Amino acid sequence: MATLICAAPAVAVITLALRPDQGDVAFGGDLLRDGAIGTALVVALGGAGAVVFGAMAAWLVSLCRFPGRGVFEWLLVIPLAAPSYVLAYAYTGITWHGAAPIEVRGLWGAAFVYAIGLYPYVYLAARAAFASQSACALEAARSLGASPWRVFWEVALPLARPGIAAGAALAMMEIAADYGAAYHFGLTTLSTAVFRAWYAHGSLDGALQIAAVLLLAAIVFLIVERRARGRAAFGGGSSRWRPLPRYQLSPLPGLLASGFCVALIAFGAVLPLAWLGRLALLHGDLGDVVQPFVNSVILSAAGALITLALAAAIAVSARRSKSIGKLSLYGAAMGYAAPGAVIAMGALALFSIAREAGWIGGLGTALALAALFWTYAARFSAAGVQPIDAGLARLSKGLDASARTLGAGPWRRLIAVDLPIAGPSLAAAALILFVEILKELPATLILRPFDFDTLAVKAYSYASDERLLQAAAPALLIFLAGLAPIIILTRGIARARAGQA
Amino acid sequence: MSSVTLRNVRRAYNGAWALDDVSLTAPEGKVLALLGPSGSGKSTILRLIAGLESPDSGEILIGNETVSTPGRAMPTEQRRVGMVFQDYSLFPHLTAGANVAFGLDKLARADRDEQALRWLDRMGLKHRAGAYPHELSGGEQQRVALARALAPKPRAVLLDEPFSGLDPVLRAELRDATLATLAETQTTTLFVTHDAEDALQAADQLAILKAGKLLQSATPREAYDAPASLDAAAALGPINVFEGVSEGGVVRTPFGEIASSLPNGSRAYAAVRAEAVHLKPGSAARVVDVRPHGAHDLVRLEAQGVVWRALAPARTALGERVDVALHAAGSFVFSA
Repeated sequence: MATLICAAPAVAVITLALRPDQGDVAFGGDLLRDGAIGTALVVALGGAGAVVFGAMAAWLVSLCRFPGRGVFEWLLVIPLAAPSYVLAYAYTGITWHGAAPIEVRGLWGAAFVYAIGLYPYVYLAARAAFASQSACALEAARSLGASPWRVFWEVALPLARPGIAAGAALAMMEIAADYGAAYHFGLTTLSTAVFRAWYAHGSLDGALQIAAVLLLAAIVFLIVERRARGRAAFGGGSSRWRPLPRYQLSPLPGLLASGFCVALIAFGAVLPLAWLGRLALLHGDLGDVVQPFVNSVILSAAGALITLALAAAIAVSARRSKSIGKLSLYGAAMGYAAPGAVIAMGALALFSIAREAGWIGGLGTALALAALFWTYAARFSAAGVQPIDAGLARLSKGLDASARTLGAGPWRRLIAVDLPIAGPSLAAAALILFVEILKELPATLILRPFDFDTLAVKAYSYASDERLLQAAAPALLIFLAGLAPIIILTRGIARARAGQA
Repeated sequence: MSSVTLRNVRRAYNGAWALDDVSLTAPEGKVLALLGPSGSGKSTILRLIAGLESPDSGEILIGNETVSTPGRAMPTEQRRVGMVFQDYSLFPHLTAGANVAFGLDKLARADRDEQALRWLDRMGLKHRAGAYPHELSGGEQQRVALARALAPKPRAVLLDEPFSGLDPVLRAELRDATLATLAETQTTTLFVTHDAEDALQAADQLAILKAGKLLQSATPREAYDAPASLDAAAALGPINVFEGVSEGGVVRTPFGEIASSLPNGSRAYAAVRAEAVHLKPGSAARVVDVRPHGAHDLVRLEAQGVVWRALAPARTALGERVDVALHAAGSFVFSA
């Protein structure tokens, strides 16, 4: 059931796009071709940048010792807080009003913004891969007389390669899915092409066809990610966790390492944040963002609760039954891989079929909201499954058995054992979902009820009118909201590593 | 306190018998050890008694009350059976005191806290009542788990490999302390172990299991002195086995004769415990290997191409020639 909810829009896109009886508006058309080329270019460039930034940062932080390493270790994740479109607005503003007379719009600017905003995906995966490497393998290499350089190239990096690949696939998936930044930078990608087909050409079929191609690309990235992650767990060696032996960098390289990390954090977070903050304080009109803020909070909270329920159902069923669980996890993963624009088109198409069949009336506010929540649930339930599953994993069978032998009935077990133990994970999942939905742009843009502006929509519409001053305040709020789950997640990682018995 | 009885219990996993027609009784107020290698079904017995699983056939009684039959099982939480899990399964979000108090929820709060504290005190852990499980050492966790299981005054308590996670010194100490507590409280106890020494030293009654079958149920003394089968003999320590023929009331081995009650000419296994092989100066066998084994040496002897192990108190030299005496109390003959 949950699977159906998650996968239906994505499946609808593919089946509808492959209907034989429709005119081929987009297939073979310029829009699809240009979009595919644009997406391929920007994914390749942005992805490569993210890999270089992320893998280097992970290696420095995991295997070297230099000034500030401990702080950088978690600060390096911060750029993940800002959605690409917020960074895009900030950088347009910085280069426009600021000192640097650079044209940031265009392919290279977009690649830079994606790389600096999404490298944390690679960084996290690579760091986990470095950290999970048995210190023994590295020590063995050193005991065999390998230089630090050789240890890195011949042991650490090959062992971490699957992890890096998984992170890169995630980053590329995000780049392919992004609409806001690509649109703002004037790129033609598959994501922007979906919108153009739908809004400019008024062609639902064309939009569906482009969306189907985009979806297939996303699924390819997803498969790469899953494969790579499956291989990331190189077994063997010692299972005991020990702190990795780190190389002490001498002063100059150490300073360079610190400088590199500082630059990543500065360009990925501090600079855009400061710029947006300054603009918002100087020129922001608070009254202007109150209503979008309230709308965002309501929409995100309701969406998060619905999605959380769905994610919990998936997580629980995955633990109950292997086969059903696998299916629903795939369904959720497919929704997660699918860009917001694709899912929204799928939901829209399904609703329009229902309307033609006379099952429902026009797309009024209530129905639009339903479609929107459905899209959120389909898109984000996978993001909630993971933390919920982590919470459930802490509820070992032994604890349940313990409580039972001590005379606790089902209710008492739920209240006194299950909830206190899994509760924090549920709360974390809810927060993550809340912020993801708050940041979501394309689906909200397509499906929101008439005149219902959220922060993301507001920032987008100001930015597309070249009114960056006004866009700063909503963009800043989105950025700040994005920081909350990042902080919680990084604390969780630190705790998981330290507290593992 | 109540006795615990299994009658003809069977339990299958994926088509294989985890327990095959097992009947045994844990006497009221005594300690029964379930001894066997992993996969012998000993932990399954505990889970069946606790009601965490149901038997495929047979029945389980606590006292005179039938708690499990194939169709009907009393829920775990109503059985009043305490359990100490192999990983202790302390609630990670509760302090040691709150863990112990968990099963006392029928009492008023003040009583509950007071009793929990009394139990911790009894385990020498009163000062750790406010500590969380991850702040406790392995031995402390084990004691909290035992206190938690005993506090609600269960009809019987089940211990699953309770000492397996601990280092050897702590292990012996903790085993004795645990037994003292169990004896003091007159608790019917079933404990699972794969360690023969634990079983022999700790139990009033022994049940030896292998591959889902009950090999022997006896006191430790009886089981050691009169094993029911070759496997039962092997379960309690290293043995030497020789396949021969029973003739004239004995089975002849390269190391000596062993009295046999089997009919003349029947094939037989002679089994001799390593500690029943005694050495004295002579010429019948040659020492081919000597390893220190605590106060004893573990000696390998060769005679007529057959190698046996002996636990010998005296220092023996490699290559030395010796005569062998087989102590009757540790020598058995089983029909092959």
